[in-house]
Amino acid sequence: MTFKRIATIVILSITLVGAIPFISQAERDPLASEKPETALSMKVDTKKLSGINLFIARMYNEDRVLYATTVTLVMAVLGTTLAFITDLVLKALGLEVSKISHRE
Amino acid sequence: MNVFNIYLPVAGIEFNAILLISIGFCVGVLGGFFGVGGGWIVTPALNIFGFHMAFAIGTDLSNIFGQTIGAVKKHQKMGNIDWKLGLISIATSIVGLELGSDLIIALEKAGDVGLVVRWCYMFLLWGLGSYMLHDYFDSRQKVSATDSRNGAGEEAKQRPKLSERLHRISIPPMISFPASGIEGVSIWMILLIFLFTGFMSGFLGVGGGFIIMPALVYLIGLPTAVAVGTSLVTVLFSGAYGCLTYALKGRVEIVAAVIMLIGASIGAQVGSTAVKYVKGYGIRLLFSVMIILAGFSVAIEQVYKITQNQVFQTYAGVVLMGTAMSMSVIIIATLVADARKERNRASIK
Repeated sequence: MTFKRIATIVILSITLVGAIPFISQAERDPLASEKPETALSMKVDTKKLSGINLFIARMYNEDRVLYATTVTLVMAVLGTTLAFITDLVLKALGLEVSKISHRE
Repeated sequence: MNVFNIYLPVAGIEFNAILLISIGFCVGVLGGFFGVGGGWIVTPALNIFGFHMAFAIGTDLSNIFGQTIGAVKKHQKMGNIDWKLGLISIATSIVGLELGSDLIIALEKAGDVGLVVRWCYMFLLWGLGSYMLHDYFDSRQKVSATDSRNGAGEEAKQRPKLSERLHRISIPPMISFPASGIEGVSIWMILLIFLFTGFMSGFLGVGGGFIIMPALVYLIGLPTAVAVGTSLVTVLFSGAYGCLTYALKGRVEIVAAVIMLIGASIGAQVGSTAVKYVKGYGIRLLFSVMIILAGFSVAIEQVYKITQNQVFQTYAGVVLMGTAMSMSVIIIATLVADARKERNRASIK
């Protein structure tokens, strides 16, 4: 990979991403928000929520330790599971890894 | 775009799921390939797209924790992790981190510390990036000179000059790291290096992966792939701690973190796999380009802080996201091309 090629890809990507603010301003979707919208309230308003969102919001409001433990465990389990599945897919594509020689 | 909008109950906003998965994927690829957490990309990106800063940091740290588990496992499989060095790094960095944050608190009393920190951050990124770039071209010249003398195929096997000099310091007790191929180095030197990297993390308010990885290569003399894997061990522990502590303070948006993790886990596996195919100097070249561009993003952010013109803040994010995206594309393209070459070689045999 030459330095010239890297520079071309970098410039093209920055230009591409540079278009995002203009596109989003036209559509007024979440990309267009100029100021952070989230309020830092310690309690979530559960009136309009239902299903899984209500369950999460209640846990967040009522037991912060349980919420923190759940977040940490979910991230660990999901991270491991997704990594395992991706690994299987990569193996099937012939991208299996084993001990490598460290070439500089 | 609105079809993919989902409501995030804790943060109380609507957010585009595809955008979350894309940010996660890019940062996952970079994390697995460079041994960094990528908080310096995700946090400003989430903030610009509508998250409050505290939620952006907490959600990002949770994502880092999840994505790094798989990356560490993969690097372990490739023999890229020096656990002994990694654990020393975690223990020592904590002390340095405390010192760095203490300095910030002391400076805060004197005035606007943010401007000073950003100047330091900018010069660190540019300084480190330029040094790595110079080292890359310098070594390539040496390799081509060796090739012309001895025939092609010779690879640079020497450690960086700086680490050679530091290895000559022989203040006992001495310690060895067989997994990294390092024999008899002063433990004081190792502790001092990690104290410094921890201090810089605390001072700049960053996770530190992008400081630890080059420090492991240029100061301790680790092969680049081992530096990437070992750096990820530190990132994993800081991510786990950050995830728990921010969630306890109610600053993690679990739905966003889970969605982002879908992209990040896949990306981290792809990035880690790419390390198998790219030589150490290739990793360092891409890393140096990436941090120099990240330095430009910090410079634009600095202009925003001075002028208070919102356009500059948006463009700081644009440069950062563009850099992350382009680096991910380069890494994936390299992985695909090299894997194809390897397959062709195998089929000829």
